[in-house]
Amino acid sequence: MKTLNEQIAEVIENEPVAVFMKGTPEMIMCGNSQRALRALHAAGAPVTTVDVLPDPRIRQELSTLSGWPTIPQVFVKGELIGGADITEELLASGELDQKLDESLGTERTQDVKTVALELA
Amino acid sequence: MEAETIRIVLQQAFPEAVELSVEDRTGTGDHFQVTLASPSFDGLPLLDQHRRVNQALAAPLGDGSIHELRIKTKGTA
Repeated sequence: MKTLNEQIAEVIENEPVAVFMKGTPEMIMCGNSQRALRALHAAGAPVTTVDVLPDPRIRQELSTLSGWPTIPQVFVKGELIGGADITEELLASGELDQKLDESLGTERTQDVKTVALELA
Repeated sequence: MEAETIRIVLQQAFPEAVELSVEDRTGTGDHFQVTLASPSFDGLPLLDQHRRVNQALAAPLGDGSIHELRIKTKGTA
C-alpha cells in the first residue's frame, strides 16, 4: 500500500483540480470549504475532492507537502492556488477562469469526483 | 486568543504595513479576519502574500488557537 504522503502527492499531481476539504461536496463540513467549491463551480472547474477529516494525519502530511497551514487547499495541475480567500479573489478578478482556461482548456468538463485515501 | 494579540504579532512581522486590522469574526477568539496592506507585497503573487501572513502566525495556527483565518492582503502600489 502506498503511504499517505504518496497518495496525497498523486492526487495533487494527477487531478486537474484537487481540493482538500472538510467533508465531501455532498456533505460539506466547513464554510470555507464551501466557499472554495462554490468559486470553482462558478468558474466551471472540474473538481476532485479529498476529505481531510477521516484522519488528522491527512492534514499534517498535506500541509508539510504544500507549506500551507489551513484547509481548504486548492491545486490546479499540481500547483497550489491557495485557500478559500484566494480562490474567491481570483474568481472575482477573472484570473481563476484564465488560469483554468490555460491549464485545462476552455472546453473542460465540470465533473465532480471524490477520492478516499487509504489509511493504514 | 485576542484579536489584539494577533494584531501585535503582525505589526512586528510587518512593521512597514500601511493598513492592518484583525477582527474576531465570531466573538469566540478563534475565527479571525486579517486585513493587511504593505509595500512589501507590491508585485508579490497573492499566494506568497498569504504565505507570509501564515508564516507570521505559524505558532497559533499550528497549536489550534486560531481555528479559522481569513486573509485579505494587498500591496500599496
